[in-house]
Amino acid sequence: MKKFLLKTLLYVLTGGLAFFVVTFTVYFFNLDMKLTSSLEPLLLKWYDRIPRNQHL
Amino acid sequence: MASKKFNTMVNPEKIKGDTRYGDLYKPHGKVRKRREWRGLGDTLYDYTRWMGILLTLGKFMVVPRNIKFFFRYRWMANYLAVPMMVDRFTQGLRGEYLRIAHEEQDLIIIDVAKLLGNLARGDRRVGNDEEFSKINVLVDENEMTAVMMGFPNLKCTSRETPSTYVPVLLNQHAVEHYLDVVQEYGLPGDVCPMPAAEAGTSMDDDAPILGACAIQCNTTCDGSLLSNGVLSRKLEKEDGIPVFQLPAPLRHKEEDVQDYAAEEIRRAIKFIEENTGHKWDWDYYFECARRVNIATKARNEWLDMNKTPYPQVFGGNLALYTETNYMAICGKVPEFERADKRITKLAEKAYKKQKMAAPEYRHRAIVWGVQSHFYMDFLVWLLNCWGIVPLTDMLSCINTEMIAETDTPENREQAYYDMAMLTEEMIMRNRTHGGYKVLLDDLFEFVEQFDADMIILWEHITCKALDGMHGLFEDRARDLGVPLMWVNHQLFDPRVVSRQGVRDQVNQFMRTVMQEEPLDPTLEILDDENSW
Repeated sequence: MKKFLLKTLLYVLTGGLAFFVVTFTVYFFNLDMKLTSSLEPLLLKWYDRIPRNQHL
Repeated sequence: MASKKFNTMVNPEKIKGDTRYGDLYKPHGKVRKRREWRGLGDTLYDYTRWMGILLTLGKFMVVPRNIKFFFRYRWMANYLAVPMMVDRFTQGLRGEYLRIAHEEQDLIIIDVAKLLGNLARGDRRVGNDEEFSKINVLVDENEMTAVMMGFPNLKCTSRETPSTYVPVLLNQHAVEHYLDVVQEYGLPGDVCPMPAAEAGTSMDDDAPILGACAIQCNTTCDGSLLSNGVLSRKLEKEDGIPVFQLPAPLRHKEEDVQDYAAEEIRRAIKFIEENTGHKWDWDYYFECARRVNIATKARNEWLDMNKTPYPQVFGGNLALYTETNYMAICGKVPEFERADKRITKLAEKAYKKQKMAAPEYRHRAIVWGVQSHFYMDFLVWLLNCWGIVPLTDMLSCINTEMIAETDTPENREQAYYDMAMLTEEMIMRNRTHGGYKVLLDDLFEFVEQFDADMIILWEHITCKALDGMHGLFEDRARDLGVPLMWVNHQLFDPRVVSRQGVRDQVNQFMRTVMQEEPLDPTLEILDDENSW
């Protein structure tokens, strides 16, 4: 039982650490904004294609 | 007369982490190279708040109708830049200042996400929840929402806030498309771009359609009337949504207009009752009034602190939160009461320790006029680049009086006058309208009260309200020996005056008139024309 708990704790800690390393890398190097900024031109093209009833 | 001079204050505490903020900008880039290193503790704190923001955005995007909404409306693309907006507003902030900024910004993000969710749910093109749509009352973007303080079961919904106001904070180029649409249809190009962009979203068929009725107002200014005409025609004639015009008196300091103002509030409430079937609830009204007073008291305390050598809630931390809390929230959201208390606690803590937000405080400035919305983090830049502390701005100088908050027959009558007063004292228009006392005389009273040695006067070049006062400001500043710097901009449109164009005006004034060198020279010239 004790061994099982220790093993689980180790998995949780390793998983937590891996999550932190990955997300902190994304955070610090601004990777989230670099990704979304590359999506923006594609989205604008998409919006241009939507038929609109444009009038005054 | 000799110029007023402030003795530079040097921060005894070293600012941890990055101090050359210009190095983080990628030339010609949309986003920055990396986020700021603020020392271990503050960086980890900022990281956890970044995760919180992603969680808020993620929660919004897991709802299928919100995804549909995102791909339907062009202005939704700007919300990709939410984390970057927070980075811009928190540049250089550490300790309590960083925490205050996050208390405010993260709450505003949650509130806007809820508003977007409501729009998506009620919008006839997306969620089309007709029952939900019936409990929504549409209000203008720059409209005091006091008339909604007695309707606990109705949603006070602004379409313009998330479609034009917030996007420009997120992305400086956000509304250029709508400004072009407006001009393509022959509306003039030299009007204020805020109402023009609002009209543009409607003309571009890019405004959600929902609501039982709408209340339009002549605040912030006469320019709003232009867009209100375009919007109300579409709402009433095409969408079948009845619209009420709530005209707040322009000479709002005059006693003889107050009965009229209160009567208009009564009529607006009656209109809402008739169109929604909901009745005014006095218990809820006085609950909201109590929260309005808490917000007013907190803001008064922050401003009192800013009159001392150790200001705490100032600049970007004061401006954006005040606008949101005063106008859009107006006591209706309990979370803002808790945030007010937490911010005050943090400010008091920092004040007791005599903390400073920058390596040096070289000038104490009052920022007056209508700020450039596409560069609202300019206030942070002033502090970091030149050591100029923006103690308060015109839009934060709103109502300081308490309103009636206990339910008595007399107070029920007083409540109409209180709501009228809050509406008349709406951000910006309480200064740009109402005579030269509120715009000119009060500025120089604030200069005295805050012991300021500098005035930064925004000149929004298509704002007709301030243009005629140019010479009067200069004469008075000259008489009192207070250096006054004009900063031109065009509110929503960086194609007319860019962010660097804004900075250049300050840089030239500081180098030539004040004969000073910047605190952080890397921020003086930034290639951020393409930036969000």
